[in-house]
Amino acid sequence: MDNILSLLIGLIFLAGMATPLLYRIWQKNTGLYLSVIPLIIFAVLIAELLQLAPRESSLLETSMGFLPGMEFAFRIDGLSLIFGLLISGIGVLILLHASYYMAKYDHQASFYTYLMFFMGAMIGMVFSDNLLVLFIFWEITSVASFFLIGFDHHAEKSRQAALQALLITGFGGLCLFFAVIITGNITGTYVISELLEQSIHLGNHPHYYLILTLTILAAITKSAQFPFHFWLPGAMQAPTPVSAYLHSATMVNAGIFLLMRIYPIMGGTMMWKYSLMLTGGITMFLGAFFSMGQRDFKRILAFTTISALGTMTLLVGIDTPDSLKAALIFFIVHGLYKGGLFMIAGIIDKSTGTRDIYDLHGLYKKMPLTTVVTLLALISMAGLPPMLGFLGKELIYEAKMQLPDVSWLLLPLGVGANIMMVAISITVFYELFIPDRKRKPIELKYKEKELPLRFTVGPILLAVVGLFLGLSPKFLETPVDNGLFFMGNQSAELSLSLWHGFNDVLILSIFTVLSGVLVFFIRRPVTRLIGKIITWLDRLHLPTLFTQLINKYVKSAAKNTNLLQHGYHRFYLLTFFLMVIALMGIQIFRITDIHLPELTPSPIKIHVALLLLVTACAVVFAVFAKSRLSAILTMGVVGYGIAMLYLYYGAVDLAITQFLAETVLMVLFVMVIYYLPEFAILSSKKSRLRDGIISIGVGVFITLIVLKAKFLNLETPVSEFFVANAYTEAHGRNIRNVILVDFRALDTMGELTVLTLAAAGVYSLFRFQIKILKKKKTGTDEPRQDDNKKMHV
Amino acid sequence: MNNIILEKIARLFLRVIAVMSVLLLLRGHNSPGGGFIAGIVLATGFIYYGIIFGSDRIQTIIYFNTRIWMGIGLGLVLIAAVMPVFAGHEPLTGLWYIGEWPLVGTMHLGTPLIFDTGIFIGVTGLILSIIITIMEVLKWNT
Repeated sequence: MDNILSLLIGLIFLAGMATPLLYRIWQKNTGLYLSVIPLIIFAVLIAELLQLAPRESSLLETSMGFLPGMEFAFRIDGLSLIFGLLISGIGVLILLHASYYMAKYDHQASFYTYLMFFMGAMIGMVFSDNLLVLFIFWEITSVASFFLIGFDHHAEKSRQAALQALLITGFGGLCLFFAVIITGNITGTYVISELLEQSIHLGNHPHYYLILTLTILAAITKSAQFPFHFWLPGAMQAPTPVSAYLHSATMVNAGIFLLMRIYPIMGGTMMWKYSLMLTGGITMFLGAFFSMGQRDFKRILAFTTISALGTMTLLVGIDTPDSLKAALIFFIVHGLYKGGLFMIAGIIDKSTGTRDIYDLHGLYKKMPLTTVVTLLALISMAGLPPMLGFLGKELIYEAKMQLPDVSWLLLPLGVGANIMMVAISITVFYELFIPDRKRKPIELKYKEKELPLRFTVGPILLAVVGLFLGLSPKFLETPVDNGLFFMGNQSAELSLSLWHGFNDVLILSIFTVLSGVLVFFIRRPVTRLIGKIITWLDRLHLPTLFTQLINKYVKSAAKNTNLLQHGYHRFYLLTFFLMVIALMGIQIFRITDIHLPELTPSPIKIHVALLLLVTACAVVFAVFAKSRLSAILTMGVVGYGIAMLYLYYGAVDLAITQFLAETVLMVLFVMVIYYLPEFAILSSKKSRLRDGIISIGVGVFITLIVLKAKFLNLETPVSEFFVANAYTEAHGRNIRNVILVDFRALDTMGELTVLTLAAAGVYSLFRFQIKILKKKKTGTDEPRQDDNKKMHV
Repeated sequence: MNNIILEKIARLFLRVIAVMSVLLLLRGHNSPGGGFIAGIVLATGFIYYGIIFGSDRIQTIIYFNTRIWMGIGLGLVLIAAVMPVFAGHEPLTGLWYIGEWPLVGTMHLGTPLIFDTGIFIGVTGLILSIIITIMEVLKWNT
């Protein structure tokens, strides 16, 4: 049973990779069939949930992994189960929804690929028990979301939004990477379960502030918190199912998940509290406030998402058992209603062709089912009974009120944000569904009954689940309790129920609702005011500023690159050789303890001496050669001479390679020699003198260091290991080859890659030149037939 | 350039060299040779052929584009690198199968052979790619 889960997560990725093939078979039904995988995961997770003991977590270990020390191990506790259930459950509905919504898009196969990768990465991330694995899945979500947001890649806006999202979340990902590495170095383990069991807390470590800053940066960039919130409304360019998924259960909630996951390791300090409360509080209010000024249904929802994420960050930052509980519950609440609302936006968009809520009205009569479902979701968003949203909001108020020192600030902010939420909920419902006599009724492209079930089932199910959980929240107690236990190692008073009794929280709620209704009635001046504020703030339009920043960065990078990559080959060589001299000089003067062995000069071998003489003569001749051809030929003599030297000393492989390489080089030279400009000495005497000195310097230093290295044994030479193990371990008698393909295979792999890149570079450098030349010669784009070709061959 | 003797030689030479290079590749693990050397040897054969017949002819006899050959080489290397992971080892660990074969007797077969073949194909491909590109430029530059 347990291992099924790890297999299933792998299966998602496999299915994602196979989608291009599967799409050919299944065509429009791809989404329908693909949704079976998350459905099975959902069922397995439900089974896990039923088995979940209140104070225990289970661990699925596998031997597979990215690298040793990065094994896939899946940790199942309350926190990961809650996230996993929402991700897989909503994933099923999104796939169903998308299979109809996306039916007319191009490149659907790649859409499903990205979506499956995204889903797999999210599920992998919440269950992973290793910080490094978590980081890798985290990055996969960033990359997959880049492709999903920019799916309409022919639109400039889409591409920009996708790039912005990628840059910001990628920056956060880097921060997370550093934080993870530092954490691992300090604690000696990357395994989350071990960190939790040893109850390590980094709070007293000198590097704590660095780690925390990095982690919080990662979380707030991913979760679109102030001041990084601006990428989320931009991400609205994505197709609606993607937005629904990104906002409800995945992507932006990953930051919240991260905060909750690492809470026991580094949470609860003053910096944690204040930084999260600050950014969360600002985001919560800003999001709700700006949502009133929007016209596009999806943008409204995006801003409410920002607000909800702010709320969650704030709650994690308040750091009391109650607030953590509220954060977890609110995550569920938000996932349920936001996923539903986005899908409803998709439905309305599909049936009417617009998402502008002020253009629509009176949809109630034509879309009764949608109306009911929207009503339920909006009630949850506004935090009214009997939906789960009410419970969430009550808990939030309770958590905020318990905080004596800052509740004077947080409570008004929170109440303000909620008032806006209530108002926007009513506004959306009123504008969409209540008929306006003065305007003519909206014509629908598709009647509600004509829409297939898979398109509409998502919001319906989510609304029903929200209602059900609101009425009987007892079902949530076990996972939430379990999650809290592992988050804080502390147990909160946990009894969830809709009715809390008549207390100050309820009074606050009533006040919120009444004010919300009031704001709704004066919505026109309010929206106008907010619109004005938005236009005023647009002078500080963050997305534009961000783009400018990136452009400036690219420009300065180009400047610096040009400084180093000036394009003069001779100066590259100069730099290179000077660096070599400097590095070798350091080594020569640093290492002094050399014990010269008793030297018994070996007899001079006459043939070796002759060979060296010839080679040396060739070098001198090459330097002073008067024509290019003779210079090249003498260089060839040098090369062959060295190869012969290899042969004498038994390095057959090296000799062969040297011979062959030399030959190929010769051929190349001879090929191009006709086309080179005339041989001339262009450099001044001074620079030639300089070059000569440098080259002699390199030679001298290399000779010195080789001589030195011969008498130096800093470490046991690794060659002995190769000699001893080449046949026993690697089944080869040719040690050089065994080193190349086995002991040092990674190096060889790298070298082959570099060489391939070089070849690709040569090709791409000349590709256009060949085209242009062809055009010039033949006068047309297409080269003429053979008769023309023969002339040039 | 139409020289029937040279053409005959080039054809024969290419075949001999191809066989020779495969031999070098296969014996590389125990005696001098190996993928890299074999790759250069094969490339020299093709270069000789190309000098006589022109770069287009190389392109036709190698069937795939050189860049695809480079890709195949890299792909084989990657396969050899990743295969041990599925057997529960670290990447690039050699997996060996030692068995008795008819005619040849005991033979050691392992992922390093795949790796070496990848290098062989990759090196041949990349040298040919560079040479063909340069020959193309020269051809149109006259």
